[in-house]
Amino acid sequence: MSLDTMLKKLSVSSPWLFRINAGSCNGCDVELATTACIPRYDVERFGCKYCGSPRHADIVLITGPLTARMRDRVLRVWHDIPEPKVTVAVGVCPISGGVFREGYSIRGPIDRYIPVDVNVPGCPPRPQAILESVVLARSIWLKKLGLEK
Amino acid sequence: MTDTLLGIMHMCIFPGGLFALAIGFLFKGIDRRVEARLQRRVGPPLLQPWIDAAKLLTKETMIPKTACRQAFLLAPVFGFTGMAVCAAFIPIAGVFDGLSNMGDLLVIFYLLPIPAIAIMLGGSASSSPFSAIGFSREMLMMLAYETPLLMILLSVAMLVGKSIAGTWGAEFSLLKIVLWQQENGSLGLNPSMIPAFIAYLIFLPGTMGAIPFDIPEAETEIIEGPLLEYGGPLLALFQITSALKTFVVLGLGVALFFPGVISQWWPINLIWFIVKCLVLMLISLTLVKSATGRFRIDQAFRFYITVPMALALCSLILVWVI
Repeated sequence: MSLDTMLKKLSVSSPWLFRINAGSCNGCDVELATTACIPRYDVERFGCKYCGSPRHADIVLITGPLTARMRDRVLRVWHDIPEPKVTVAVGVCPISGGVFREGYSIRGPIDRYIPVDVNVPGCPPRPQAILESVVLARSIWLKKLGLEK
Repeated sequence: MTDTLLGIMHMCIFPGGLFALAIGFLFKGIDRRVEARLQRRVGPPLLQPWIDAAKLLTKETMIPKTACRQAFLLAPVFGFTGMAVCAAFIPIAGVFDGLSNMGDLLVIFYLLPIPAIAIMLGGSASSSPFSAIGFSREMLMMLAYETPLLMILLSVAMLVGKSIAGTWGAEFSLLKIVLWQQENGSLGLNPSMIPAFIAYLIFLPGTMGAIPFDIPEAETEIIEGPLLEYGGPLLALFQITSALKTFVVLGLGVALFFPGVISQWWPINLIWFIVKCLVLMLISLTLVKSATGRFRIDQAFRFYITVPMALALCSLILVWVI
């Protein structure tokens, strides 16, 4: 096994999470925060860490239905994230628009603009579901690195 | 010639470079693990810092269009070199005497702020407004914690110098300070040095940018500040620098206050040194980190120029009087 493959295989154990709020009602954001912080659903045991800068991110968690005002900003931040990245849509809003669907200010669903790798439906989703999405995102990341699991 | 080679080896392999990196990353792993356990979480594996660094090596490097390219690329290298050299000056009691024995305390004092300067340099070269805020905060923090450090070093140097010379004098050789303590007892137990030791414990989280004082890199308000635009291998270099700095500041603390040895055999002494560094880290960084929030910059500045300053001054006056 070459050094490059070894580094790539290791790298999956250190997914740094980045949150983008695309006009969410904050329900999913609170859920994400508690998933990381409260002892019961410790996300750090997978080596995850919430990072503040999009340049450091590996897994992007997007919440909210993508409002007209947020669209360009979300796309700009998303393009600032270095490859390889995995995009996770958290909550029903980025997937379909949720209760805001077909609203005058909604430009979602989010996969019109960016490729979403994992969907986590729910309003808000359960912490277990978010944790599972992170684990799923890890295996998708492996695929993106060219290492099929 | 052999001296030069030996010096380079000391900077690259044994106390500096690889060894310091291994210790630094191990300590960072233990730090994260213990912090998680204190908050009743499971926590990441002990090797997590290594995995993070490996991950960053595989990521793509992005350089902002408006950035000053050379400074942006060179800043992490600058910080890393400074710390690798600095680590070679730390004497490990009973194992290694330090690279130089003439005024090395002053050299360490000048080399210690280099990672902070590198972060400021990289931050300002990356041309992001958040980095600019981080830059000014880093600068303020540096001014705040370097002054008490100078007072602490001065009080230690004066105490030892006075004792060696018999009259007024300051001893700026770290090796002589270590040897003096092995004969006359550790300074950390010396009543006139206890305030200085406490001041050093307070200095540690400031210089490491640990949680109550992680104001320059506050990820929730100024999104990692000066490190905002860094990613990939360059960010890994910053993390390596931080690990080396952990080794340097903890090793300096042990050399200044508790450099005792317990055996004639060097591996035992090395392990004893690492254990002392670990205890120092758990007390001053991990415990504080897991139980506190973040100061505002003005609060932190006021705190540093009052509390540790007063403690260090207290020690200096005690040395003067006794």
